[in-house]
Amino acid sequence: MSGSGEHRTLTDYLLYAWGVLVFAFLFLPIVVIILYSFNEGRLLVAFTEFGFTPFRAIVERPQIRSAVIVSIQTGAIAAVLATALGTLAGVAMARRPGRWVFWFVLLLLLVSVTPEIVDAVALLPWLVFLGQDVGLGIFDNGVVRLVVGHSLFSTAVVAYIVRARLVGLDAQLEEASADLYASPWTTFRRITLPLAMPAVLAGGLLAFTLSLDNTIISAFVQVSGTTPWPVYVLSALRSGLRPEIAAVSTIMLLLTLLSLVLVWLVLRRAGDSDTQIARTMTGN
Amino acid sequence: MPRPRFLLAIPAWAWLVTFFVLPVATVVYFSFGYKPGLFGTHATDVLSLDRYREALSPTFFTTFINTLRVGILGTLICLLIAIPMAYWMAVKVSPNRRVFLLALVIVPFWTNFLVRTIGWQVILAPEGWLSGLLQSVGLRDGPLAILYTRPAVLLGVVYNYLPLMILPLFVAFDRVGPALREASKDLGADRWRTFTQVTLPMARPGIIAGVLLVFIPLMGDYITATVLGGARGNMVGQLVASQFQAAQNWALGSAMAVLLILVIAVTVLVGAAMAYLVSWPFARHRRLRLADLPPAEART
Amino acid sequence: MSRASRPRPVRVLAHSSAAPRIRSELTRRGFLTVAATLGGATVLSACGGEESGSTATGTGTATPRATGGDLEDSVSIYTWGDYDSPDVLERFTSELGPTISLDSFNSNEELIAKLVAARGTSGYDIVVPTGQFIPQMIENDLLEPLNKDLIPNLEHMDENFLGRAWDPENQWSICKAWGTTGFVYDNTVITRELTTWNDFIDAAQNEASGRTSLLDDPAELTGIYFWANGIDWTTEDEADLQAAEDFLVNDMAPHIAAFDSYPGGSAIPQGTHVLMQSWNGDARIGIMESPEPERWTWVLGAPATELWMDNWCIAKGAPNIEAAHAFIDFVLHPDQVIDQVDYIGYHTGAADVEARAQEAGLEMLDLVFFTDEQVATMQEGEVNSAQQRIVDIWNRTKAAAGA
Repeated sequence: MSGSGEHRTLTDYLLYAWGVLVFAFLFLPIVVIILYSFNEGRLLVAFTEFGFTPFRAIVERPQIRSAVIVSIQTGAIAAVLATALGTLAGVAMARRPGRWVFWFVLLLLLVSVTPEIVDAVALLPWLVFLGQDVGLGIFDNGVVRLVVGHSLFSTAVVAYIVRARLVGLDAQLEEASADLYASPWTTFRRITLPLAMPAVLAGGLLAFTLSLDNTIISAFVQVSGTTPWPVYVLSALRSGLRPEIAAVSTIMLLLTLLSLVLVWLVLRRAGDSDTQIARTMTGN
Repeated sequence: MPRPRFLLAIPAWAWLVTFFVLPVATVVYFSFGYKPGLFGTHATDVLSLDRYREALSPTFFTTFINTLRVGILGTLICLLIAIPMAYWMAVKVSPNRRVFLLALVIVPFWTNFLVRTIGWQVILAPEGWLSGLLQSVGLRDGPLAILYTRPAVLLGVVYNYLPLMILPLFVAFDRVGPALREASKDLGADRWRTFTQVTLPMARPGIIAGVLLVFIPLMGDYITATVLGGARGNMVGQLVASQFQAAQNWALGSAMAVLLILVIAVTVLVGAAMAYLVSWPFARHRRLRLADLPPAEART
Repeated sequence: MSRASRPRPVRVLAHSSAAPRIRSELTRRGFLTVAATLGGATVLSACGGEESGSTATGTGTATPRATGGDLEDSVSIYTWGDYDSPDVLERFTSELGPTISLDSFNSNEELIAKLVAARGTSGYDIVVPTGQFIPQMIENDLLEPLNKDLIPNLEHMDENFLGRAWDPENQWSICKAWGTTGFVYDNTVITRELTTWNDFIDAAQNEASGRTSLLDDPAELTGIYFWANGIDWTTEDEADLQAAEDFLVNDMAPHIAAFDSYPGGSAIPQGTHVLMQSWNGDARIGIMESPEPERWTWVLGAPATELWMDNWCIAKGAPNIEAAHAFIDFVLHPDQVIDQVDYIGYHTGAADVEARAQEAGLEMLDLVFFTDEQVATMQEGEVNSAQQRIVDIWNRTKAAAGA
């Protein structure tokens, strides 16, 4: 590409330096957290001596593990749900345009400009109403509540991404498929979905990531016993963070890096070029 | 067979109506009510705009202004940091390493944001090592006093939302592709002009996406701001939360929530209008120029 | 319940002469609002077929749900930050089985708001409200009555801390811990000696300006003004409240760096602020964790300050009610008391706890146990008609501090 074979200019070096600086900025606090996860003291922020006690605490404290598991579980379900709903909606907007799209986009816009805190305060009484007054006991379940809360913004985002992807691609293939008497379902499954797949995957990944970090909605709608990890941390923040929290974060970071490497290897084997992988990961 | 065109959008529509439109509509409805007595949360037998008046009283109004300032400044700083960063990643870095760098941008996302923010708290603490380092090098006389100030609030939000700005910008710059840039170069434009007149305008969708992805959640966030900013990080989100969580005044909390949505929507619209006004003359100019090609040298 | 019947050391703890009045007030007011709250919380009650009738009953008559059956697998506690020794919690799980999950709140208001909004679906088993809020919680049907047969260790409690005004029969609550409010300052920065709330205010406005933190709790915030100015902090007088608001919003807020209910958790060890309003047990934790403990001076609020007593209660709809009783019984056992006191730094209300703590050689006991003269300056709070006003003042002060 550009740059290769040419002389590096001052601008190139400046940009390079900028990139390094930004990465340093992004990772500085994470490095600190990793270092502090080996803190033997009672409080995370007050380093006393080096040791592995915090990591042992993960094994000994079931509620820490359960919080992490709840988060991963919720993230996965919310991601699948938001991806399914958003993909269908995105396909409809791109391939079945009409006046309805205007109103639908308006709804999605409204969902996206509504800050989390508003969803949070609105959802809690609503879910309680559905669970207690309408008698839909399923809404008393903690994971269900979290999934509902996490799915709203993500559904809108996935719908945007999928629509953007399909609008950029010609509909000829689908028309041809229809001309060849494929059923709408077959056309969807064999043509439309594969076309949209990079956007679907990217949307799913984004939905999972957003769910994993969701604190505000979770803090409001959560049911004790299915406390997700960010709410556990928020709660611990009040009572003095312990080094275990840093230890869990360190382990989660390692697992994340590991899974990213795995995804990369799998995609590579599937024959995609690196740029293609990059685009898949960012929704293109 | 006449099937409605929006058939596939029905599940998402139903989901969002059930779990977004209806609950948020009740919040809007509450905002016209009042708080009945000591232990009631809300009543709506008498409807009025009084809660809005209360929400905009001088003390709370300052919080709205404060939040807007943090939101706009934070978004702009993110944009300024992310443009060179994303450009570098998309244009200068070899494609092999690009995936690796992209993953590195995403990784901070996967450690809990509160934990990351605590990391900053440790770094910036007056008794922390950065403070010690600065003092021993002679850059500061006393202990570092940045924690619980406005700059700390900005640092916190910029840090947490920066990846959300870098990713869409990267995608946008990546899309422009080398061919257009080469073409611009062949037509005699230098690198700066190529960047400002070809690459940047082409990346506009990415910029818009990034700005929205950062600005909207930032406006509703209140946790990041308070962890590093303490009292200075008092955001509207905090006001709304405390009306529901502590004061049990759902009516006032709802009015504040509705105002927050309005502030965000209006800011986004004003921002869009300004962006359009600024870019419009350029867009015209460019079109004209393309029309009277070829004298490339004459224009410089 | 009269003062005279109480032994000397807890003279002020028995500040219960006003109790019958408060209680009847609360009962009457509470009842009116139960219907309002529940009816209102039935969002869109127009569409909801059921009315709140079924939930409004059940107050007053206390029939415990727990029967002493098998313990459930877990128990969930919603409490103040860092309020139980992890060793005690671990011992409970290893000896009796149920795992414990903990959640924390900043203020009673937050606890109550959560329980009201969730209407029995919060999933919490044990909650720990401060005494004066308990009548409201009973009236709002937020608590389950206790089955005292399942809590035999009640006999190890000091009687002075049982049968308090808000729950004379301990039908709903058992003392968990009691403590008071004061402040901690960095004596390397504030070199003069501070002894009263007036000193606190003066330092906050001068050498500690921009480096002061206050408790994130409404009553303690307005309390600073009332205690400093010799006004009863349970005042319902609008002129007093207005004066407190003017002072806090205009004269105090600009100097405040943070609202932090638990400075001991990180602010004291990290040296983040130089002047911090704090509860005694939390101050003790913070100073003990600090790398330079001699830098910090604790001051009990003077001339007057608060006395609070937090209580073990069981939340309405508690899913693990047997395990909840078992837990309360477990922590009241003398074997657990010293660990609890040492970890949280508060008097737990157990019999002979002070002597045993001294015997065990616990540190900094002057921040845990107070002399009769000190206790005499402490006064319990009240939930009265000023409650809403106080929460408003707290919100406005926070907004002003952020400006």
